[in-house]
Amino acid sequence: MSVVGIIANPASGKDIRRLVAYGSVFDNLEKAHIVRRVLVGLAATGIRQVLLMPEWFGIGSRALEGLHLPLEVTYLEMEPSFTHEDSTNAARLMRALGARCLVTLGGDGTNRAVAKASADVPLLPISTGTNNVFPSMVEGTVAGLAAGVVARGGLDLNGCLYRARRLEIEEDGRLVDIALVDVAVCDELFVGARAIWDPAKVREVFLASVRPGILGLSALGSALAGINPGSDGEGLWIRTGDGPFQVLAPILPGVLAWVQVEAFLPMRLGDALPVHHQEGILALDGEREIPIRPGVQYTVRLSDSGPWVVDVQKVLARASQEGYFLARGRG
Amino acid sequence: MALTKDTVLWMYRTMWTIRLFEERMAEIYLEGKTPAFDIGSGPVPGEMHLSAGQEPVAVGVCAHLRKDDAVIGTHRAHHFAIAKGVDLKKMAAEIFGKVTGLGRGKGGHMHLFDVENKFSCSGIIGASLPPACGAALAYKKLGKDSVAVAFFGEGAANQGSFHESLNLAAIWRLPAVFICEDNAWAISVPKSKSTAVADNSVRAAGYGIPGVRIPENDVLAVYEAAGEAVARARRGEGPSLIEVETYRFFGHFQGDPEVYRPKDEVKKLREKDPIPRFAQQVLGRGLATAEELDAEKEAAARAVEEAIAFARESPYPDPQEALLHVFV
Repeated sequence: MSVVGIIANPASGKDIRRLVAYGSVFDNLEKAHIVRRVLVGLAATGIRQVLLMPEWFGIGSRALEGLHLPLEVTYLEMEPSFTHEDSTNAARLMRALGARCLVTLGGDGTNRAVAKASADVPLLPISTGTNNVFPSMVEGTVAGLAAGVVARGGLDLNGCLYRARRLEIEEDGRLVDIALVDVAVCDELFVGARAIWDPAKVREVFLASVRPGILGLSALGSALAGINPGSDGEGLWIRTGDGPFQVLAPILPGVLAWVQVEAFLPMRLGDALPVHHQEGILALDGEREIPIRPGVQYTVRLSDSGPWVVDVQKVLARASQEGYFLARGRG
Repeated sequence: MALTKDTVLWMYRTMWTIRLFEERMAEIYLEGKTPAFDIGSGPVPGEMHLSAGQEPVAVGVCAHLRKDDAVIGTHRAHHFAIAKGVDLKKMAAEIFGKVTGLGRGKGGHMHLFDVENKFSCSGIIGASLPPACGAALAYKKLGKDSVAVAFFGEGAANQGSFHESLNLAAIWRLPAVFICEDNAWAISVPKSKSTAVADNSVRAAGYGIPGVRIPENDVLAVYEAAGEAVARARRGEGPSLIEVETYRFFGHFQGDPEVYRPKDEVKKLREKDPIPRFAQQVLGRGLATAEELDAEKEAAARAVEEAIAFARESPYPDPQEALLHVFV
């Protein structure tokens, strides 16, 4: 049976960036509405089994209230810790239970947690966070249709899924964590409220890719496009500080900053660059995570072994071409 | 804002002062009340609501406050009072009903009132928010950059006073900071059974003000968020709402049989005790030595014992006291 997993993070869209920037609150009731729409889309494609990650708000239960669909929707049997680890554990369990597509609701951080365990199961990331680069704003019903098409199989999806990159963080050569979008070295003592919002505290940035039109530290890379000798599709390392360039970048919702750039270097797949700054905290996908310990050599490697991701438009285009949503005669 | 070593040590000492004070009160409260529990007997009669486990909320917020800022607490208010700088001896004496207390022994533990440190609290649920609006309005009218902070529980966020106060503070752009302590239990009612939204922070959107949720009872995260909210209020940019996930180690009141609570909940919460977690982070970053932290804890223990001794030794008010400082 084709199985789809849904991982909705109840904590996304509520952090300190509503105070230090103009981030919008993303209410969990709205996430429940999105899950409801996803379920409707999934049911329409013939999916019959959906797995949900348990969380403290009951996004899935609320989504199911009054919803009558030919779907068997069950919560995973897992002991929630109500931290990011739940998303990783849920992805692992869903994969083991045969899920063929994972729909995520959250931001870059949520997807990072899921990507740690999703392996070859494709993600369909719906943005409900703050500074999102990895997930996109996609309507829930449409996302459900696309996830359903992917999970059902039987359709040539060549070119409709893509493999994302990831940045691999190594401590003395040992892989300890990953990021999907960026790794930043910042002058902070503690993990604290997690988010980073002051560009003056950012010392180094490693970007998984450089593309325009995005918010966050990735925008530093976008702004350097005119002088970056790297080719399309390469990552980028940037060191901030006294140097020849300043770039204007949208760092947070409603916050633009000029950032002084001392040096930068394109990162090709497989490149592993050392972290130069010997103190502070490594922020992964915008969240402070790893306090730098003295005497440890940290390295960031650009890898192509990130999660598989569903390109919603391409999947639906292929499905439409194959007549998935077409019936002859009158209804 | 940079977190200095002095602030870190103050935070550690203050969290321990709160913890040790509450643990001592839990012991003292039972004096004279056993074997048959009699709420009216012993050196501390009446109800007792203790805040052990909730230290990060009070300390993370009050670290940013000045003496001229106002704090209005809840029925469970010892941690706020201590973090705001209320004299521990006078506070203890008030709880013991002694004439040397903050209110000359008339208020008791739910009615701590300290003009000097601009601190007050009340037993009425949701009653902290309107007075905070009043204090904030006064600051604004006087052209001061002081702020008013209202602490309240997640259950109180369902009271009309919460919504009315947020609305008023928003339309008048008052220098107020609203801090919701989400300890998961409104007496015995879980949040999921009383509150239509999971996070009260999202209710800020209804009043056009910033709303933030701080998970995991982390004093450093509270410190950062509160610092931004207080600075915003001082700059005249209006109120903010912060909800903090926190842990209630004791029952709603001392003597609460806690039949509504899963048996191992407190055990699990104590495994995530915020004070050792904070110490671990401070030591890990080399911001203080273990000896320095131990010295702070010892200082806290001494202050608590001195305060309790002062309260025990202080005299009770004369009967005529009932007619003083009241409208008759």
